[in-house]
Amino acid sequence: MKSVMGIIYTNKDDLSLRELTSQRSVAALPLAGRYRVVDFILSSMVNSGVRNVGVIMQRNYRSLMDHLGSGKEWDLHTRNNGLFLLPPFVTQENNGEYLGVLDALRANFDYLRRSGQELVILTNSNMVFNINYEPMIRQHEESDADITLLYAKVRPNMELSSAGKHTHAFLQMDEAGRVTDMEVNPNAASYDTLYMNVMLVKRTLLMHLVDGAAAHGSHDINRELLQPAIKAGSLKVYGYEFKGYYRRIETIKSYFRCNMDLLDYNVRRELFKTNPVYTKTRNDVPAIYRDGNSVTNSLVADGCVIEGTVENSVLFRGVHIGRGAVVKNAIIMQDSEIEDSVEVENVIFDKNVTIRAHGRLIGQVQYPIVIGKNVTL
Amino acid sequence: MLTKVVAKPAVPFGGKYRIIDFPLSNCANSGIDVVGVLTQYQPLELNRYIGSGQPWGLDLLEGGVFVLPPYMKAKSGEWYRGTANAIYQNVSFIEQYDPDYVLILSGDHIYKMDYNKMLAAHMDSQADITIAVRPVPWEVAPSFGIMNVDEENTIVEFEEKPKNPKSNLASMGVYIFTWSVLRQYLTKDAANAASKNDFGKNIIPSMLEDKRRLKAYAFQGYWKDVGTIASLWEANMDLLKIPPEFNLSDSRWPVYARSPVLPPHYIGDEAAVEGSMVAEGCEVNGSVKNSVLFYGVEIAKGAVVEDSVIMPYARVEAGAVIRRAIVAENCVIGENCQVGAADGEIALVGQDTDLPAGFVVGAGEQIDAQEVAKREADAK
Repeated sequence: MKSVMGIIYTNKDDLSLRELTSQRSVAALPLAGRYRVVDFILSSMVNSGVRNVGVIMQRNYRSLMDHLGSGKEWDLHTRNNGLFLLPPFVTQENNGEYLGVLDALRANFDYLRRSGQELVILTNSNMVFNINYEPMIRQHEESDADITLLYAKVRPNMELSSAGKHTHAFLQMDEAGRVTDMEVNPNAASYDTLYMNVMLVKRTLLMHLVDGAAAHGSHDINRELLQPAIKAGSLKVYGYEFKGYYRRIETIKSYFRCNMDLLDYNVRRELFKTNPVYTKTRNDVPAIYRDGNSVTNSLVADGCVIEGTVENSVLFRGVHIGRGAVVKNAIIMQDSEIEDSVEVENVIFDKNVTIRAHGRLIGQVQYPIVIGKNVTL
Repeated sequence: MLTKVVAKPAVPFGGKYRIIDFPLSNCANSGIDVVGVLTQYQPLELNRYIGSGQPWGLDLLEGGVFVLPPYMKAKSGEWYRGTANAIYQNVSFIEQYDPDYVLILSGDHIYKMDYNKMLAAHMDSQADITIAVRPVPWEVAPSFGIMNVDEENTIVEFEEKPKNPKSNLASMGVYIFTWSVLRQYLTKDAANAASKNDFGKNIIPSMLEDKRRLKAYAFQGYWKDVGTIASLWEANMDLLKIPPEFNLSDSRWPVYARSPVLPPHYIGDEAAVEGSMVAEGCEVNGSVKNSVLFYGVEIAKGAVVEDSVIMPYARVEAGAVIRRAIVAENCVIGENCQVGAADGEIALVGQDTDLPAGFVVGAGEQIDAQEVAKREADAK
C-alpha cells in the first residue's frame, strides 16, 4: 500500500455551538467523557498507518494546541514525520484569514511539498466517526482514481443543520462508483449520499490543484474545485461508502445527540472496540460511588465522585455529584461540581462549572441549557 | 537510587494501578531521577509496563528508570541469590551515576512517602544506614522485622520476627545507605560463601556487629505489605472506607500509572453500584457493592459482586455471585457461578481462568485454569 499523510482542517463551522466554541474550535470540543472531537479523526488516521499529520488551525487554537502537544498520545512524536501544528502563516500574500481549505493549503504549501508521502487524506474536523482507511486506500489504487470521496448514506436521525453556513454536499455515482454529480447545499438533496468532507488524493495532484485554484482566486474546495471537475469529467472522482456510525457536530443539538448516542452499547462498541481512540490522559483515580447514589444509563469517567442520582448522562473526568442531587440528560464536563440537592435536566455544562446547593436548572430536550466554562451558579 | 523488587510488582491494585506505581511515584514525587528496578521474575511484563518511564515523568535524557534483570557476564552469569546479591550484581549500574546515597525499596508495599525527608534525616545524622520504621500493634509485631532503638533513634538491635518483641517498630523495607559504606559491605558479603546475601539476615546484622551508625526513621502514614491474598484484598478495601484509609486522589502527592486506552465506563439501566470504585472501560449492568472494579471489567445483568476486587478485563456473566473474592485479570466467571462467601477467607480466581457456568469456588479457595480443568475431569 502507498504511503499516506493526513491533513486536518479545523475551525470552520464553529459559530452555531454557542458558548462551547467561543474559546475553542470544534476540533477541541470535549466529547464522550474524556475525548476531544479531533481524537477520533486523528486516531483513525494513526490506526490506518498514517505517520505524518498536519493540523491546520485558524482562530481560538490555544486549547487545540494544548491538547495535541507533541503528538505523543497518538504515537506521532517520531523522529521523521509526526504531528505538525499549522497555525496561520502570515505573509504578504496571506493575511492569516483562510477563506477555505484551498487557501489554507496554499498558505501551508511548503509543508505539503516537503512531505514524502504519495497520498493525502484531507479531512474536516467537525465530525465523529472511527474508520480504518486501508480499504478505501486499496479501492483508490485499484480504481486508479484521481480523488476518492468518503460518503455516508443519509439517515433520518443525522440532524444535519439547515443553516446555510454549513457545507453539505451530496453525491451521485454510477455503478462503477465513479462520482457523476455533486450537489452543494441544496434545499432538498436529490441524492441520499452525504459527502463526509474526507477525501483521498495523490499529494502531487493536490499540490497542482491548490496551485491552480490560487491562481484562479478560488477558495471553496467543493464548489470551485470538485464540482466543476466532476461535471467536466476532468478528474476521475470515485466514492467510497462508510457504513459505520457518523455524526457531524454542527449545532448544540447535534453535539448533545452525539454524546447521548454513546449510551447505546452498539455505538460505544463501534467507536471504541475495534480501533482504539487515543487522547491526552490525566492522572485521575477511578470513579467512586458512595452509598446512597443511584446511577443508570450513564457514561462516567475517572476521577468522578458520585453521591446523588444520575440518569442518561455523560460525566467527564473529575465531576462531583453531591448528596441528594438529581442529574438527568446532562453532559457535564471535567471538574464540574454539582452540589447537594441540586436538580438539573437537559443541560450541557462546560468545564469547571459549579452549581451551588439546592440550585435548579431545567432545559428542554430540543434546546438544552448551555453553561460556559468556569461559571458558578 | 534503586528499587529492589521481590514479589510480583506488576500486580494490579486500586482500580487502575499496579503495585510498582507506588514506589515509582514516590521516587518521582521525591525528585529521584535515577531508578533501577531489579527483578528476576517476569521481566517482560514489568518491562512492558514501565517502558520509557513516561507516566512517572522518568523518561529523561540523563537517568530515568531501568529494569535490571540478571544477565550473563563475561565469565559467568547467575540468578539474583538474595536481596543484597541483586544489588551487588548491579554495582556497575550504580557506579555509572556516582551517587553519594542509595535508596533501596521493596516493590510490594502500598504507601506514600517523601524519601527526601528521610534522606535529610540520614544526612543530618551522618548515619551509614537509615531504616524507615513504623509502629505496629504489639500483637502483630512478631511477624515483622523489629528494630530496637535507643532514645536517639539509633538502632541497637535488629530481630527478624521475634517471639517476644522488645519494641513495636517494624522495618518497612525502605533503606538509605551511604553508598561507599554499602559497597564495602556488599563486597565483603559476596566473598562470604556462607552468607544468604540478604539485607535483613546478613548486611544489617554485620553492620550492627561492626558498630556502624544505624538510624531509625519513623514514618507515620499508611503502609501496607500486600504480599498475601488477604492483605491485597484488605488494602483494596481500605480505599473504599469513608474517609478512605488511603487516599489516592491527593493532588499534592499524585500516584501515577500507565493509563489504558479505554472510554469512560458505562452504568446500565438495571445496575446498582454502591460504595465502590469503578475504572474506565467497564460495562456494569449488575449489582456491585463495596468492591473495586478495574478497567475493562464487564458485569452482566443479574450478576452480584460484593466486597470483592475484580481485576482488568474480567467478565462476570449473568446470575454469577461473587463475595469476598479477588478475581484476577482476564477471567471469565460463567453464568450462575458462585465465588467466595459472605464471610470466611478470601477466595481467589487466578489469571486467565474461565469458570464454566454453575462452578462453585468456596470461601478461602484459590483456583486457576488447571484446577478448573482437573475438577471438570473428575466430575465426569
